Amino acid sequence: MHRYEYALISALKNGKQLSIAELLEKTGLKKEELFWSIENLLQRKGIEVERRESESVELTPEGIAYTKDLMPEESLLKKASIGKLSVSSLKDKEDQIGFQWAKKKGLAEISKGIIDVTEKGRDAIKKGTEEGNALRSIAKNPENYFKLMGSEKQAVLNLLDRKLITIKKKREILWVKATPEAIKELSEEKSIDQIDSLDKSMISSGSWKGKAFKPYNMELNVEREKAAIRHPIRMLSKKLKEAYLSMGFIQTSGPVIEPAFWVFDSLFIPQDHPARDLQDTFYLANPEKIDILGESSLEMIKKAHIESWGGEWKEEEAEQALLRTHTTNISVRNIRKVLEEGSAEGEETLPMKFFSIGRVFRNENIDYRHLTDFYQHEGIVIGKNLTLSNLFHIMISIYKPLGLELKFKPAYFPFVEPGVEFYAYSEKTDELIEMGGAGIIRNEITGVPRKNITVLAWGSGLERILLLKDPSIKGVTELYNSGVGWLRNRRMR
Amino acid sequence: MPVITFNKKYLFSLLPKGTTEEKLKEDAYKMGFEPELISEKEVSIEITPNRPDLYSAVGFARAFKNFNHKNKKLKYELGNEEPEFEISVGREASQVRPFIASLAVHGIHLDAEILADLINFSEKLSETYGRYRKKIAIGMHDLDMIHGQLHYNAYEDERYVPLNVKGERRFSEVLKETEKGQKYGSIILGSGRYPALKDSEGAISLIPILNSERTKVTTKTENILIDITGIYREPVEKTADLIATIFMDLGASVRSVRIKYPGNERITPSLETRYLSMALTLAESEIGVPIGSSNIISLANKAGYEAALVGEKVRFRIPEYRLDIINEQDIVEDIAIAYGYDYINPTPIRAFQNGALLPEEKEFDMISDALTGMGFSEEVNTYLSNEFSNFTAMRIKERDGFPSKENAEYVKLKNSKTASLTMMRTWLLPSLLRNLGSSVHDSMPQKLFELDMAFAMLKGKPSEEYHLAVVDTGPRSNLNGIKAVISEISYLFGVNLEVKESDHGSFIKGRSAVLLHEGTTVGIFGELHPEVLQNFGVEEPTSAFEINLTAILGRSMQSGNKKRRKPEE
Repeated sequence: MHRYEYALISALKNGKQLSIAELLEKTGLKKEELFWSIENLLQRKGIEVERRESESVELTPEGIAYTKDLMPEESLLKKASIGKLSVSSLKDKEDQIGFQWAKKKGLAEISKGIIDVTEKGRDAIKKGTEEGNALRSIAKNPENYFKLMGSEKQAVLNLLDRKLITIKKKREILWVKATPEAIKELSEEKSIDQIDSLDKSMISSGSWKGKAFKPYNMELNVEREKAAIRHPIRMLSKKLKEAYLSMGFIQTSGPVIEPAFWVFDSLFIPQDHPARDLQDTFYLANPEKIDILGESSLEMIKKAHIESWGGEWKEEEAEQALLRTHTTNISVRNIRKVLEEGSAEGEETLPMKFFSIGRVFRNENIDYRHLTDFYQHEGIVIGKNLTLSNLFHIMISIYKPLGLELKFKPAYFPFVEPGVEFYAYSEKTDELIEMGGAGIIRNEITGVPRKNITVLAWGSGLERILLLKDPSIKGVTELYNSGVGWLRNRRMR
Repeated sequence: MPVITFNKKYLFSLLPKGTTEEKLKEDAYKMGFEPELISEKEVSIEITPNRPDLYSAVGFARAFKNFNHKNKKLKYELGNEEPEFEISVGREASQVRPFIASLAVHGIHLDAEILADLINFSEKLSETYGRYRKKIAIGMHDLDMIHGQLHYNAYEDERYVPLNVKGERRFSEVLKETEKGQKYGSIILGSGRYPALKDSEGAISLIPILNSERTKVTTKTENILIDITGIYREPVEKTADLIATIFMDLGASVRSVRIKYPGNERITPSLETRYLSMALTLAESEIGVPIGSSNIISLANKAGYEAALVGEKVRFRIPEYRLDIINEQDIVEDIAIAYGYDYINPTPIRAFQNGALLPEEKEFDMISDALTGMGFSEEVNTYLSNEFSNFTAMRIKERDGFPSKENAEYVKLKNSKTASLTMMRTWLLPSLLRNLGSSVHDSMPQKLFELDMAFAMLKGKPSEEYHLAVVDTGPRSNLNGIKAVISEISYLFGVNLEVKESDHGSFIKGRSAVLLHEGTTVGIFGELHPEVLQNFGVEEPTSAFEINLTAILGRSMQSGNKKRRKPEE
């Protein structure tokens, strides 16, 4: 009899029925060891067991995501009740799902292409939809599932249908009892016939010689060891850094908190441009302003704005403190630095290549689809006679090591001319996914004609690369602020 | 970005015969626009905000035809006739909405599709380029319903019959009662006067809000008067040019209008010809492709420019309808688009430079790798927080700060859409506790770290510093375990950290200490207080530490700090 089996039968030798929990405590065995012994002894008819099958309910990852905020139909109703929302404007998949369900459940109707919230829908905005309430109730306590199968059966069935919850069937052992034969055998047998665990003294004394090793069950299921990992966004950053380094780029950084001057004005974004709206940008209450009077480019930027955009340019606007909406503030600071200070070796060192990876912010109402924090990588090359074709080559070289092929399309950004959007092909959805923007920085920003200096620039989000490369990541919101479980379920490729 | 929805039948009637949907999509993409949806009745295209001239089907078709060399009309000119009308501008207008331009259109044949397209065009232009009518607003009137002399001024609260309203209303009532009034009223509120365009019978438009019912344009209208108003002269007058070209393409005849300001006068539209000359090599050297003098003219035409070789240079005639051409850079882009981004051959830059990472980033990477080696997984959390998580739930008063009172001031957000985000986090432990709180169903022990930014206000300036925070939670978690991790980090990186017992609200009394580096407090560690754990929904005992790496490495990155360190060579 193996040591584990011996421990098990010993615990049962008074003939009583014991539960698994009791056995774990009495034997001191680990779970795997106990179950291994039970299976072995059952085969040899050393014990009897009674089993029971039971059901339990769990939320799927999608279900969990919805409990963090609202169900898609709930957030759709909310949006549709605030302003006119047309069916054709629903581009997001979640919104489309939300709309389908809202329609199906009579919570919304379409009239002339506009989504109309019905009375029932307005009620649902206040109280939540049946499915939403059921899902949240189950999330709170899985036992509620059984209650709801009575009162809210259809809602629960819909949740199952939508794969937001799933039923797990469990077979469990109610009790274990030793057979009289086994108890008898126990009294006759000592457990140390065969060697179970090899230990230090056996090796040094050689006492294992002449004895057999107890064979182990090689097919025993064990839980996988969970590796501690770097965050996926950091692993991606590392790959990007390698790509940039391989091309001789120098990494730089810059402030997260900036005056609008460095994030907008220095990039030739007019002061009445929608991108500067309170809607999209986090402005700060403390500090409310950051001094820009000492900036050497102030007069030049002011002049460029007044000449090209017409009207006035206000320093108060440019002084407002905000969280950067792109990392281009770093690039434009680098441009100023190189053009104003030059480098020790003079023009011989051109072209100069810089990159940065950093966090940027959008003023969003956070829910299961919207984040406020994003990562961006971006770079510039400052030099003479640089071309759009050079820019394309650099972009291709950055994305090639990631296994992504790029396609370029003309685009408009106020700070570049020509402007470029670049796309990568997604095997997951069989379409071209917009990856980022690029272009040649306008003279108004450098303050130097192109025949003297050309600056190539680009920027792109990291999240969309991860989504493209890792099919197990369903949406951006799961990337950050995640629980331990999410990290433990990542793969390296 | 604006998405313009065209009537499909109407748009295709303007495109060259035999144009397929596929061809439309392909070319729109090549021109830099995004075809969103082609349905049975509609075509939606996302058009970049620098090209309001493409917001009408006529304008889009014009560009499409140019792109396919199917357009012969590259210039727009007015006859030599005197202006047909005169609008006199009163002095008060200058304080509210100073500038106006106008044009008269004759012999237009409107049907429902053309009219809908024109209205859609002017709405979209006013929303985007016009910044929701603040910078530009457009009004269209039935010319035959206008009588006598036209005046533009800012008036008292007068009455007129607004468009689609039964009966007279005061200007102030229009602002309160109508949809447009509510939407755009704020543009003129506050001055106490109302900009309006009037003829001898009264107001034909409350500007930039709502026209009059009397001058309503319908499919039966044959002659139109258009007004464009705004706060800057140039965009207003250029918009008049753009609108003139659209009506000329619709086959109507356009007559100019004299605008008499106090002290000067303008005639709009001017359709003034602008030329820009540049060397052919400029385009070639910026795009990085050989073009040649024989091709440049054809590429220019494809982009809608009439062009000619003048000596060494190419002279481009800037189309009258383009509002976005500032200088030669903009033309180079149009040439590049006409050339086709797909045909630009990616070319490497052959110049040597040593690449380099930021030195702190290298160190952070090594620290992070050491921590994963010790079984800690890395979290990335938002930088944004609120006073409750950052202070209250951590059982510290705002003034206590991390790790001690010195960092008491913090960065506050002004306009967050999410009510629960009000400030920049001053430390990382609350973020990690939130991670643990959402992981109670996962097996123990749970070991996490985060190495990223925390923010504070130091002497009135924002400071951005890198912190490292580590948590270890589970039945066996205790102070010594976390202290061992601190010791290992100090050992690996050769940093001397002194331990000094302290009392901090977040930790159990008698089980926490601060960490000192060269006499300065740089961190804190201990067993977290059960109340803190409960506040974050953490169910098992938890030990933690947080240190300010920037303080230890002595590399502060203050906002606005101009003398930034040069990257390591």
